[in-house]
Amino acid sequence: MALPWLLAGCAIWVPQTERLRSDWPSDLGPRAELDAVPYFPQKDYQCGPASLATAMNFSGVSVVPDDLVAAVYLPNRGGSLQVEMMAAPRRYGLVTWQLGPRFEDLLREVQAGTPVIAMQDYGLWPVPYWHYAVVVGYDRDSGKAVLRSGEKRRLEMPFAVLEYTWKESAYWAMVAVPPDRVPVTATEAGWLQAVVAMERVADKQAARSAYRAALRRWPDSLNGAIGLANIDYREGRLQAAEELLRNTLKQHPKSVVALNNLAQTVADQRRFDEALTLIDQALALGGPFSSAVEQTRAQIRGKLAAPQ
Amino acid sequence: MKSVAFRMLCRVLIVSLFAMSFQPAMAGVIATDQAITTTTERAALIGTLSRSDVASQLLAQGVDTDAAKLRVASMTDQEVAALAGKIDSLPAGASSSSTGWAVAIVAVLVIWYFWK
Repeated sequence: MALPWLLAGCAIWVPQTERLRSDWPSDLGPRAELDAVPYFPQKDYQCGPASLATAMNFSGVSVVPDDLVAAVYLPNRGGSLQVEMMAAPRRYGLVTWQLGPRFEDLLREVQAGTPVIAMQDYGLWPVPYWHYAVVVGYDRDSGKAVLRSGEKRRLEMPFAVLEYTWKESAYWAMVAVPPDRVPVTATEAGWLQAVVAMERVADKQAARSAYRAALRRWPDSLNGAIGLANIDYREGRLQAAEELLRNTLKQHPKSVVALNNLAQTVADQRRFDEALTLIDQALALGGPFSSAVEQTRAQIRGKLAAPQ
Repeated sequence: MKSVAFRMLCRVLIVSLFAMSFQPAMAGVIATDQAITTTTERAALIGTLSRSDVASQLLAQGVDTDAAKLRVASMTDQEVAALAGKIDSLPAGASSSSTGWAVAIVAVLVIWYFWK
Protein backbone atom coordinates (compact mmCIF):
# COMPACT_ATOMS: atom_id res chain seq x y z
CA MET A 1 0.00 0.00 0.00
CA ALA A 2 1.35 3.37 -0.95
CA LEU A 3 -0.92 5.31 1.40
CA PRO A 4 1.11 5.02 4.60
CA TRP A 5 4.25 6.24 2.94
CA LEU A 6 2.30 8.97 1.18
CA LEU A 7 1.13 10.23 4.57
CA ALA A 8 4.62 9.76 5.89
CA GLY A 9 5.79 12.25 3.31
CA CYS A 10 4.49 14.95 5.57
CA ALA A 11 7.32 15.15 8.05
CA ILE A 12 5.56 17.92 9.98
CA TRP A 13 2.60 15.67 10.80
CA VAL A 14 4.47 12.46 11.49
CA PRO A 15 8.16 13.28 12.01
CA GLN A 16 9.10 9.99 13.64
CA THR A 17 7.46 7.87 10.95
CA GLU A 18 9.37 9.85 8.39
CA ARG A 19 12.64 9.24 10.25
CA LEU A 20 11.92 5.52 10.54
CA ARG A 21 11.25 5.37 6.81
CA SER A 22 14.49 7.03 5.85
CA ASP A 23 16.62 5.62 8.63
CA TRP A 24 15.35 2.33 10.09
CA PRO A 25 17.59 1.41 13.08
CA SER A 26 19.94 -1.37 12.03
CA ASP A 27 19.42 -3.39 15.22
CA LEU A 28 15.64 -3.31 14.93
CA GLY A 29 14.17 -6.35 13.17
CA PRO A 30 11.94 -5.84 10.13
CA ARG A 31 8.88 -7.36 11.78
CA ALA A 32 7.52 -8.80 14.99
CA GLU A 33 4.11 -9.84 16.24
CA LEU A 34 3.14 -11.17 19.64
CA ASP A 35 0.34 -13.55 18.69
CA ALA A 36 0.02 -14.84 22.24
CA VAL A 37 -1.15 -11.50 23.62
CA PRO A 38 -4.78 -12.06 24.68
CA TYR A 39 -7.66 -9.86 23.66
CA PHE A 40 -10.39 -8.39 25.84
CA PRO A 41 -13.07 -6.62 23.89
CA GLN A 42 -13.79 -3.21 25.32
CA LYS A 43 -17.11 -2.61 27.04
CA ASP A 44 -18.73 0.82 27.02
CA TYR A 45 -15.96 3.35 27.47
CA GLN A 46 -13.63 1.07 29.31
CA CYS A 47 -10.61 0.86 27.03
CA GLY A 48 -8.37 1.54 30.05
CA PRO A 49 -9.31 -1.63 31.95
CA ALA A 50 -9.37 -3.65 28.70
CA SER A 51 -5.89 -2.51 27.62
CA LEU A 52 -4.46 -3.09 31.07
CA ALA A 53 -5.97 -6.58 31.29
CA THR A 54 -4.43 -7.37 27.90
CA ALA A 55 -0.94 -6.34 28.99
CA MET A 56 -1.22 -7.78 32.49
CA ASN A 57 -2.41 -11.22 31.40
CA PHE A 58 0.52 -11.43 29.02
CA SER A 59 2.74 -10.63 32.02
CA GLY A 60 1.28 -13.56 33.93
CA VAL A 61 -1.44 -11.91 36.04
CA SER A 62 -4.90 -13.37 35.56
CA VAL A 63 -7.30 -10.46 35.58
CA VAL A 64 -10.30 -9.53 33.49
CA PRO A 65 -11.18 -5.91 32.66
CA ASP A 66 -14.00 -5.93 35.22
CA ASP A 67 -11.44 -6.56 37.99
CA LEU A 68 -9.63 -3.39 36.96
CA VAL A 69 -12.61 -1.09 36.62
CA ALA A 70 -12.51 -0.24 40.33
CA ALA A 71 -8.79 0.45 40.03
CA VAL A 72 -8.61 2.79 37.03
CA TYR A 73 -12.05 3.80 35.77
CA LEU A 74 -13.56 7.20 36.63
CA PRO A 75 -17.35 6.83 36.27
CA ASN A 76 -18.06 10.55 35.95
CA ARG A 77 -15.31 11.11 33.37
CA GLY A 78 -16.17 7.91 31.53
CA GLY A 79 -12.49 7.10 31.16
CA SER A 80 -9.16 6.31 32.80
CA LEU A 81 -6.23 8.61 33.60
CA GLN A 82 -2.64 7.86 32.60
CA VAL A 83 -1.37 8.05 36.17
CA GLU A 84 -3.85 5.41 37.28
CA MET A 85 -2.94 3.15 34.37
CA MET A 86 0.63 3.31 35.67
CA ALA A 87 -0.40 2.83 39.31
CA ALA A 88 -2.90 -0.05 39.13
CA PRO A 89 -0.63 -2.93 37.97
CA ARG A 90 1.76 -2.33 40.89
CA ARG A 91 -0.68 -3.90 43.33
CA TYR A 92 -0.41 -7.11 41.33
CA GLY A 93 3.38 -7.16 41.61
CA LEU A 94 4.03 -5.83 38.11
CA VAL A 95 6.43 -2.99 37.40
CA THR A 96 5.13 -0.23 35.15
CA TRP A 97 7.53 1.62 32.91
CA GLN A 98 6.63 4.69 30.92
CA LEU A 99 8.44 4.64 27.61
CA GLY A 100 10.41 7.55 26.24
CA PRO A 101 8.42 9.49 23.64
CA ARG A 102 10.01 7.64 20.74
CA PHE A 103 8.41 5.43 18.11
CA GLU A 104 11.65 3.48 17.99
CA ASP A 105 11.37 2.66 21.72
CA LEU A 106 7.85 1.38 21.23
CA LEU A 107 8.99 -0.90 18.41
CA ARG A 108 11.97 -2.08 20.47
CA GLU A 109 9.73 -3.17 23.32
CA VAL A 110 7.45 -5.05 20.95
CA GLN A 111 10.46 -6.71 19.31
CA ALA A 112 11.69 -7.74 22.78
CA GLY A 113 8.34 -9.42 23.42
CA THR A 114 6.47 -6.82 25.46
CA PRO A 115 3.09 -5.44 24.37
CA VAL A 116 2.93 -1.65 24.72
CA ILE A 117 -0.11 0.36 25.83
CA ALA A 118 -0.29 3.64 23.93
CA MET A 119 -2.62 6.59 24.40
CA GLN A 120 -4.14 7.92 21.21
CA ASP A 121 -6.37 10.84 20.38
CA TYR A 122 -9.06 10.06 17.82
CA GLY A 123 -10.74 13.40 18.23
CA LEU A 124 -10.73 16.33 15.90
CA TRP A 125 -9.74 19.73 17.14
CA PRO A 126 -11.09 21.15 19.42
CA VAL A 127 -12.64 17.96 20.78
CA PRO A 128 -10.09 15.39 21.92
CA TYR A 129 -11.11 11.75 22.12
CA TRP A 130 -8.64 9.79 24.14
CA HIS A 131 -8.22 6.07 23.72
CA TYR A 132 -5.87 3.35 24.97
CA ALA A 133 -4.78 0.56 22.65
CA VAL A 134 -2.14 -2.16 22.91
CA VAL A 135 0.55 -2.37 20.23
CA VAL A 136 1.47 -6.03 19.70
CA GLY A 137 3.28 -6.05 16.37
CA TYR A 138 4.78 -4.17 13.46
CA ASP A 139 6.00 -4.75 9.95
CA ARG A 140 8.56 -2.42 8.43
CA ASP A 141 7.87 -3.42 4.83
CA SER A 142 4.13 -2.81 4.91
CA GLY A 143 4.65 0.16 7.24
CA LYS A 144 1.96 -1.03 9.65
CA ALA A 145 1.58 -1.68 13.34
CA VAL A 146 -0.75 -4.31 14.82
CA LEU A 147 -2.98 -3.29 17.72
CA ARG A 148 -5.46 -4.83 20.12
CA SER A 149 -7.91 -1.97 20.18
CA GLY A 150 -11.49 -1.39 21.22
CA GLU A 151 -13.68 -3.94 19.49
CA LYS A 152 -10.91 -5.22 17.22
CA ARG A 153 -8.68 -8.14 18.09
CA ARG A 154 -6.21 -7.44 15.31
CA LEU A 155 -6.23 -3.91 13.99
CA GLU A 156 -3.61 -3.08 11.38
CA MET A 157 -2.71 0.57 11.42
CA PRO A 158 -0.22 2.41 9.21
CA PHE A 159 2.70 3.84 11.20
CA ALA A 160 1.71 7.33 10.09
CA VAL A 161 -1.85 6.98 11.41
CA LEU A 162 -0.60 5.53 14.67
CA GLU A 163 1.87 8.36 15.09
CA TYR A 164 -0.62 11.04 14.15
CA THR A 165 -3.11 9.87 16.79
CA TRP A 166 -0.42 8.98 19.33
CA LYS A 167 1.59 12.20 19.26
CA GLU A 168 -1.31 14.19 20.75
CA SER A 169 -0.65 12.39 24.03
CA ALA A 170 2.99 13.50 23.77
CA TYR A 171 3.74 9.94 22.64
CA TRP A 172 2.55 8.47 25.94
CA ALA A 173 3.18 4.74 26.16
CA MET A 174 3.72 2.24 28.95
CA VAL A 175 4.45 -1.41 29.65
CA ALA A 176 3.50 -3.52 32.69
CA VAL A 177 6.13 -6.21 33.11
CA PRO A 178 6.88 -9.00 35.57
CA PRO A 179 9.44 -7.79 38.13
CA ASP A 180 12.22 -10.01 36.80
CA ARG A 181 11.97 -8.58 33.30
CA VAL A 182 13.57 -5.18 32.82
CA PRO A 183 12.19 -3.49 29.67
CA VAL A 184 14.84 -3.11 26.98
CA THR A 185 14.41 0.66 26.83
CA ALA A 186 14.57 1.15 30.62
CA THR A 187 17.28 3.23 32.30
CA GLU A 188 18.80 2.23 35.63
CA ALA A 189 17.49 5.24 37.58
CA GLY A 190 14.08 5.04 35.93
CA TRP A 191 13.68 1.31 36.55
CA LEU A 192 14.62 1.68 40.22
CA GLN A 193 12.07 4.45 40.66
CA ALA A 194 9.47 2.23 39.04
CA VAL A 195 10.44 -0.62 41.38
CA VAL A 196 10.25 1.58 44.48
CA ALA A 197 6.81 2.71 43.35
CA MET A 198 5.73 -0.94 43.13
CA GLU A 199 7.39 -1.87 46.43
CA ARG A 200 5.07 0.49 48.31
CA VAL A 201 2.07 -1.69 47.49
CA ALA A 202 3.28 -5.07 46.21
CA ASP A 203 4.60 -8.04 48.15
CA LYS A 204 8.26 -8.16 49.05
CA GLN A 205 8.97 -11.12 46.80
CA ALA A 206 8.12 -9.06 43.71
CA ALA A 207 10.33 -6.20 44.89
CA ARG A 208 13.18 -8.58 45.65
CA SER A 209 13.06 -10.07 42.19
CA ALA A 210 12.89 -6.60 40.61
CA TYR A 211 16.05 -5.46 42.44
CA ARG A 212 17.78 -8.69 41.46
CA ALA A 213 16.83 -8.03 37.84
CA ALA A 214 18.26 -4.51 38.15
CA LEU A 215 21.55 -5.96 39.41
CA ARG A 216 21.67 -8.47 36.55
CA ARG A 217 21.16 -5.70 34.01
CA TRP A 218 23.36 -3.09 35.76
CA PRO A 219 25.75 -5.09 37.99
CA ASP A 220 27.27 -1.92 39.49
CA SER A 221 23.91 -0.45 40.45
CA LEU A 222 24.35 1.16 43.87
CA ASN A 223 20.66 1.72 44.53
CA GLY A 224 19.78 -1.73 43.24
CA ALA A 225 22.04 -3.21 45.93
CA ILE A 226 20.70 -0.83 48.58
CA GLY A 227 17.12 -1.77 47.70
CA LEU A 228 17.83 -5.48 47.91
CA ALA A 229 19.79 -5.08 51.16
CA ASN A 230 16.93 -3.07 52.67
CA ILE A 231 14.53 -5.94 52.02
CA ASP A 232 16.94 -8.41 53.62
CA TYR A 233 17.35 -6.06 56.57
CA ARG A 234 13.63 -5.65 57.08
CA GLU A 235 13.14 -9.39 57.01
CA GLY A 236 15.90 -9.87 59.57
CA ARG A 237 18.49 -11.43 57.26
CA LEU A 238 21.23 -9.20 58.60
CA GLN A 239 24.16 -11.20 57.25
CA ALA A 240 22.79 -11.20 53.71
CA ALA A 241 22.19 -7.44 53.93
CA GLU A 242 25.69 -6.90 55.27
CA GLU A 243 27.29 -8.89 52.48
CA LEU A 244 25.38 -6.96 49.79
CA LEU A 245 26.32 -3.60 51.28
CA ARG A 246 29.98 -4.55 51.70
CA ASN A 247 30.13 -5.65 48.07
CA THR A 248 28.57 -2.49 46.75
CA LEU A 249 30.86 -0.35 48.93
CA LYS A 250 33.83 -1.85 47.08
CA GLN A 251 32.50 -0.15 43.95
CA HIS A 252 30.97 2.89 45.66
CA PRO A 253 33.17 3.59 48.68
CA LYS A 254 31.73 7.09 49.12
CA SER A 255 28.07 6.08 49.33
CA VAL A 256 26.71 7.65 52.52
CA VAL A 257 23.53 5.57 52.32
CA ALA A 258 25.41 2.28 51.96
CA LEU A 259 27.77 3.19 54.85
CA ASN A 260 24.90 4.29 57.08
CA ASN A 261 22.83 1.20 56.37
CA LEU A 262 25.82 -1.08 56.82
CA ALA A 263 26.63 0.59 60.14
CA GLN A 264 23.07 -0.04 61.34
CA THR A 265 23.13 -3.62 60.08
CA VAL A 266 26.42 -4.26 61.87
CA ALA A 267 25.15 -2.56 65.05
CA ASP A 268 22.10 -4.81 65.02
CA GLN A 269 24.55 -7.71 65.18
CA ARG A 270 25.95 -6.09 68.34
CA ARG A 271 29.29 -5.20 66.78
CA PHE A 272 29.10 -1.62 68.03
CA ASP A 273 32.74 -0.56 67.67
CA GLU A 274 32.79 -1.63 64.04
CA ALA A 275 29.47 0.14 63.47
CA LEU A 276 30.82 3.34 64.97
CA THR A 277 33.83 3.31 62.63
CA LEU A 278 31.51 2.93 59.64
CA ILE A 279 29.08 5.63 60.72
CA ASP A 280 31.97 8.04 61.31
CA GLN A 281 33.07 7.46 57.72
CA ALA A 282 29.52 8.28 56.56
CA LEU A 283 29.41 11.39 58.73
CA ALA A 284 32.72 12.66 57.33
CA LEU A 285 31.30 12.51 53.81
CA GLY A 286 28.47 14.94 54.60
CA GLY A 287 25.72 15.43 52.04
CA PRO A 288 21.90 15.42 52.11
CA PHE A 289 21.64 12.43 54.45
CA SER A 290 23.75 13.98 57.23
CA SER A 291 20.90 14.34 59.70
CA ALA A 292 19.85 10.70 59.24
CA VAL A 293 23.48 9.65 59.67
CA GLU A 294 23.76 11.66 62.86
CA GLN A 295 20.66 9.96 64.23
CA THR A 296 22.08 6.55 63.42
CA ARG A 297 25.33 7.52 65.13
CA ALA A 298 23.56 8.75 68.25
CA GLN A 299 21.62 5.52 68.42
CA ILE A 300 24.73 3.38 68.07
CA ARG A 301 26.54 5.40 70.72
CA GLY A 302 23.56 5.01 73.01
CA LYS A 303 23.67 1.24 72.66
CA LEU A 304 27.43 1.23 73.13
CA ALA A 305 27.06 3.13 76.42
CA ALA A 306 24.18 0.99 77.67
CA PRO A 307 25.07 -1.92 79.94
CA GLN A 308 25.30 -5.12 77.89
CA MET B 1 -25.89 18.78 46.60
CA LYS B 2 -23.97 17.55 49.58
CA SER B 3 -23.67 19.89 52.52
CA VAL B 4 -20.43 21.62 53.37
CA ALA B 5 -20.33 19.87 56.72
CA PHE B 6 -20.62 16.47 55.04
CA ARG B 7 -17.76 17.30 52.70
CA MET B 8 -15.63 18.44 55.61
CA LEU B 9 -16.36 15.23 57.47
CA CYS B 10 -15.32 13.20 54.40
CA ARG B 11 -12.07 15.12 54.19
CA VAL B 12 -11.27 14.64 57.85
CA LEU B 13 -11.96 10.90 57.59
CA ILE B 14 -9.80 10.55 54.50
CA VAL B 15 -6.92 12.51 56.02
CA SER B 16 -7.07 10.34 59.11
CA LEU B 17 -6.98 7.19 56.97
CA PHE B 18 -3.76 8.35 55.39
CA ALA B 19 -2.31 9.53 58.66
CA MET B 20 -2.84 6.04 60.05
CA SER B 21 -1.18 4.43 57.07
CA PHE B 22 1.97 6.47 57.65
CA GLN B 23 4.89 4.10 58.01
CA PRO B 24 7.25 5.04 60.80
CA ALA B 25 10.77 5.52 59.45
CA MET B 26 12.93 2.49 60.14
CA ALA B 27 15.35 3.46 62.84
CA GLY B 28 18.85 3.71 61.48
CA VAL B 29 18.39 2.44 57.95
CA ILE B 30 17.82 4.91 55.12
CA ALA B 31 14.91 3.62 53.01
CA THR B 32 15.31 2.90 49.31
CA ASP B 33 12.84 5.56 48.22
CA GLN B 34 14.81 8.13 50.19
CA ALA B 35 18.05 6.85 48.69
CA ILE B 36 16.90 7.30 45.10
CA THR B 37 15.32 10.70 45.52
CA THR B 38 16.26 13.53 47.80
CA THR B 39 12.70 14.27 48.82
CA THR B 40 12.62 16.49 51.87
CA GLU B 41 10.34 15.91 54.84
CA ARG B 42 8.43 18.99 53.82
CA ALA B 43 7.84 17.61 50.33
CA ALA B 44 6.75 14.30 51.82
CA LEU B 45 4.24 16.13 54.01
CA ILE B 46 2.89 18.04 51.04
CA GLY B 47 2.59 14.71 49.22
CA THR B 48 0.61 13.24 52.10
CA LEU B 49 -1.75 16.18 52.24
CA SER B 50 -2.29 16.03 48.47
CA ARG B 51 -3.08 12.34 48.82
CA SER B 52 -6.23 13.10 50.75
CA ASP B 53 -7.06 15.81 48.22
CA VAL B 54 -6.70 13.42 45.32
CA ALA B 55 -8.73 10.78 47.15
CA SER B 56 -11.63 13.19 47.66
CA GLN B 57 -11.42 14.20 44.01
CA LEU B 58 -11.69 10.52 43.07
CA LEU B 59 -14.79 10.27 45.29
CA ALA B 60 -16.22 13.25 43.46
CA GLN B 61 -15.69 11.36 40.19
CA GLY B 62 -17.86 8.52 41.43
CA VAL B 63 -15.21 6.16 42.80
CA ASP B 64 -16.16 4.52 46.11
CA THR B 65 -14.22 5.20 49.30
CA ASP B 66 -12.30 1.93 49.64
CA ALA B 67 -11.29 1.93 45.99
CA ALA B 68 -10.18 5.57 46.17
CA LYS B 69 -7.93 4.81 49.10
CA LEU B 70 -6.32 1.85 47.32
CA ARG B 71 -5.92 3.85 44.12
CA VAL B 72 -4.13 6.72 45.80
CA ALA B 73 -1.96 4.32 47.79
CA SER B 74 -0.63 2.86 44.50
CA MET B 75 0.61 6.27 43.32
CA THR B 76 4.00 7.82 43.93
CA ASP B 77 4.30 11.29 45.47
CA GLN B 78 5.06 12.73 42.04
CA GLU B 79 1.99 11.07 40.55
CA VAL B 80 -0.20 12.40 43.37
CA ALA B 81 1.19 15.87 42.75
CA ALA B 82 0.49 15.52 39.02
CA LEU B 83 -3.16 14.62 39.69
CA ALA B 84 -3.94 17.06 42.49
CA GLY B 85 -6.57 19.51 41.33
CA LYS B 86 -6.54 18.20 37.75
CA ILE B 87 -8.56 15.01 37.83
CA ASP B 88 -11.43 16.62 35.97
CA SER B 89 -9.23 18.07 33.21
CA LEU B 90 -6.47 15.54 32.49
CA PRO B 91 -6.91 13.27 29.45
CA ALA B 92 -9.05 10.23 30.25
CA GLY B 93 -8.80 7.42 27.72
CA ALA B 94 -12.31 6.31 26.93
CA SER B 95 -13.50 5.85 23.43
CA SER B 96 -13.22 3.09 20.93
CA SER B 97 -12.00 4.35 17.60
CA SER B 98 -15.43 4.28 15.96
CA THR B 99 -17.19 6.36 18.64
CA GLY B 100 -14.23 8.71 18.53
CA TRP B 101 -14.71 9.40 14.86
CA ALA B 102 -18.46 9.82 15.36
CA VAL B 103 -17.87 12.46 18.00
CA ALA B 104 -15.30 14.19 15.82
CA ILE B 105 -17.75 14.37 12.94
CA VAL B 106 -20.46 15.79 15.19
CA ALA B 107 -17.96 18.36 16.47
CA VAL B 108 -17.12 19.42 12.93
CA LEU B 109 -20.79 19.78 12.05
CA VAL B 110 -21.46 21.89 15.14
CA ILE B 111 -18.50 24.17 14.43
CA TRP B 112 -19.51 24.52 10.80
CA TYR B 113 -23.11 25.31 11.77
CA PHE B 114 -22.11 28.12 14.11
CA TRP B 115 -19.42 29.61 11.92
CA LYS B 116 -21.13 29.72 8.55
